[in-house]
Amino acid sequence: MSLIAQVIAQSDEADRFLSSTELTKLQDFFNKGQLRITVAQKLAANEQKIVDEGSKNFWSKCPKTPSNSGKPEKTALCQRDQGWYIRLVSYCVLAGNDKPLEDIGLDGMRDMYVSLGVPLANLRIAMGSLKDVAAGMMTGEEMALAAPYFDRLIRSF
Amino acid sequence: MQDTITSVINPADEKGTYLDSSALDALQKYYQSGSLRVKAATAISSGADGIISETVAKSLLYGEITLPGGNMYPTRRYASCLRDLSYFLRYATYAMLAADASILDERVLNGLKETYTTLGVPIDRVIESINAMKEVVTQRVGTEAGQEMGVYLDRIVSGLQ
Repeated sequence: MSLIAQVIAQSDEADRFLSSTELTKLQDFFNKGQLRITVAQKLAANEQKIVDEGSKNFWSKCPKTPSNSGKPEKTALCQRDQGWYIRLVSYCVLAGNDKPLEDIGLDGMRDMYVSLGVPLANLRIAMGSLKDVAAGMMTGEEMALAAPYFDRLIRSF
Repeated sequence: MQDTITSVINPADEKGTYLDSSALDALQKYYQSGSLRVKAATAISSGADGIISETVAKSLLYGEITLPGGNMYPTRRYASCLRDLSYFLRYATYAMLAADASILDERVLNGLKETYTTLGVPIDRVIESINAMKEVVTQRVGTEAGQEMGVYLDRIVSGLQ
């Protein structure tokens, strides 16, 4: 569900047209449309680089972790998940809210990682590292569109 | 409900991919049309009562439907008709903002034709009033936005046929 659908659902619930505040919110969302697409394209083009550099930073802060345990298949799986989270952040930038991240990647996430034996505290540091690398590749204006979703992700672990 | 944005994100996620260039093009077009949509929704929501009054005046008011024996008589049924027209206007506006008709199917059209048939509401007159609403809305929001609203009001018409 995008920001548009979310605002419509709220209005529908209350049996009314969209309020002027909500309409202004949508206008602001649409005004940044071109920038949203640029950010999504940058995340897509640089996913590998963000994951690679993010892992290096992460391991320097947190060396004792499954992805750094010397088992290549474990490292690959962890990095694959990190790439997926970058993809979900790109969806959120385009949708204007954190629903794609919540619905696809956060609902049930804790249970999954606990079951896999991946420490959530480590993941929090790993996601922070992804955000730092991504921030270094974007302008301040671009990152302002992506940062809230990286933050939402970091807070979830 | 579906909307334009999630209707391109969901299939990409099923494949585990970023949005491809045709999906991004579709989103770009939608974003660019956003201003038109928001302006139209603003005009429609602030003028909704007037739009409904004009719609009724244009299509229903001066006919037998408002006389004893007609489906807009007595006042209780007149008010029900106003309420339904305002639903059509509001949900068509939602769909126009989302650029997606699914909310009409889910929230308006599901069972509507059957309900009208049971209540003896003349569906041809309902359709006539929706067509009048298209004209009234277009006068207020301009041709381009009026056409966009027309897509969703037409969807209600075709759902009643």
